[in-house]
Amino acid sequence: MHSSASSTPPASASRRLQLASLLRERWDLVALGLLAIAPLVIPALGGALGGQVTTLFIYCILALGLNVMVGYTGLVHLGIAAFFGIGAYSMAILTVPMYPFQMGFAAAAVISTLLAAGVGLALGAPTLRLRGDYLAIVTLGFGEVVKVTLRNLEQITGGMKGLNPVPPPGAGVTLGGVDLGMAFAIDPRYFYYLSLIVLAGVVVAMRRLENSRLGRAWVAVREDELAASAMGISATRVKLSAFAMSSAVAGLAGCLYAASLSTTADPNAYDFNRSIMMLCAVILGGLGSIPGTLLGVAILVGFDTVLAPWADSWIQQMNINPTGSSLLSFSGWRLALFGLALVLVMRFRPAGLVPSRRLAAELHEGQT
Amino acid sequence: MPIFEVSHLVAGYGPIKALDGVSFDVNAGELIAIIGANGAGKTTLLMTISGVVPARSGSIRFLDQPINGLLTHEIVRLGVGHSPEGRRIFPRLTVRENLQLGGFTQPDRWQLKRDIAEACNLFPVLGTRMNQLGGTLSGGEQQMLALARALIGRPKLLMLDEPSLGLAPLVVVKIFEVIAGLTSRGIAVILVEQNARAALRLASRGYVLESGRITLSGSGPELLNDRRVRDAYLGE
Repeated sequence: MHSSASSTPPASASRRLQLASLLRERWDLVALGLLAIAPLVIPALGGALGGQVTTLFIYCILALGLNVMVGYTGLVHLGIAAFFGIGAYSMAILTVPMYPFQMGFAAAAVISTLLAAGVGLALGAPTLRLRGDYLAIVTLGFGEVVKVTLRNLEQITGGMKGLNPVPPPGAGVTLGGVDLGMAFAIDPRYFYYLSLIVLAGVVVAMRRLENSRLGRAWVAVREDELAASAMGISATRVKLSAFAMSSAVAGLAGCLYAASLSTTADPNAYDFNRSIMMLCAVILGGLGSIPGTLLGVAILVGFDTVLAPWADSWIQQMNINPTGSSLLSFSGWRLALFGLALVLVMRFRPAGLVPSRRLAAELHEGQT
Repeated sequence: MPIFEVSHLVAGYGPIKALDGVSFDVNAGELIAIIGANGAGKTTLLMTISGVVPARSGSIRFLDQPINGLLTHEIVRLGVGHSPEGRRIFPRLTVRENLQLGGFTQPDRWQLKRDIAEACNLFPVLGTRMNQLGGTLSGGEQQMLALARALIGRPKLLMLDEPSLGLAPLVVVKIFEVIAGLTSRGIAVILVEQNARAALRLASRGYVLESGRITLSGSGPELLNDRRVRDAYLGE
């Protein structure tokens, strides 16, 4: 019993408590609200920063997809970037002028997402008997195979040049006198809002999944496969569905990525580093935790793509490093800091920065 | 009329034959006990029936249909419930989620709600702990949860593996009370127990398993009074 701790606190402390509990329970609406008004009050989001934050949202979607496999179902996946790439390249093939399809954004996104899910199923079906380390190696290998294939199939994928230009959503559509395609191409805030809306949709979907029959089956298989099958759960089918769901969400993120950059970029954008970065984000934030995953991406990717370049240019502007020594550039220390942060988090918060509800409850057992 | 029949069942691990030609049957609404020492093959028998351990030869029939070769979840869906040894509740899921998983095969979510409410009627303590994690329950409560979870799956035949293991005597009494009531609900039960006396008192028939073979069988009272059973399993 912990009732003694909750005896009437002073007024200011209780207000702070209210704020804290508001943040904990309604963090999603608070964050969504802040992000929705941010472009209206921060002019920089209309420039390069807007594009960077859009990329951040896209990685959040990717990490939420990975979380289905690694977090909920407990299957180690080291090749999520491959499905990100499949989504991006399929988006490009369905829309770029060099191919005859030239579909609209929405139709291409739906097809690409389904395609990624299909590839996930095809990879999952023969490998599901593998557990732990072995599955990790298969997914790692698959990631490399996809990257090398994208690079070598030059006639189809454009090799190192990638495929471009991927047209923006709404190309050729005018809405209230505004050419939507042009607006998307010129003002990064359009993509900012588009990816924010998709991200919010994925968060809502993940939440509903967590409390669904399928979501419980994922966790049951993670916790105890034998007991799960004694409940009438087919572990094979449940794991396959996790594979497909993970791949689909990663593919969707890939679609947004290609469209927002208007190119697939070169195949190295879908390499092992990206997979590992996403895995680190999920683990750092908290396996199986939606807010944790989002925070993990915000910290890791934000550090990498927003903070590190900013710190570099600041050092240059301040003329701290006139000789150009790499020891004094922030980017040089980037990975060391990154590693240190991971080690510290795992040492002091092994369940992640925002542990999932289940793990959090474990730390507060006895409270009702 | 037996609803469940095992004949000449052989199964094992590698070179070891854990079951060496086991045959027995269960009638509708009957409770049978399988007793035996550690390592006699009791758990392997239930695991083989559930399809977790593959049968090497012999047959398993449930409701006049062969079930050997089916996958575990398919066997469960036919109505053969299995509450495995060591309870195997999901420690990091709440009591409610554990019960919901027990009704995984129930497609009607309102029916599932009613079934969960009914299980809480049977074990009122579970009703007060719905949002607590399974792993934080006491051993007795976990066994109740395991039993409730198995019942929510609406089995026609329920296999219970050592439900009294490691529990306080008073809790054992409560658990056996519930098990005794299962047959009146039309559920046939295979009760595997080391606590031979309690099991044979409940059972209409019993089988003694020794080194993978059935060495003795008879009605509950017959076995309770059998010289060999008394010497070996009742500690007299």
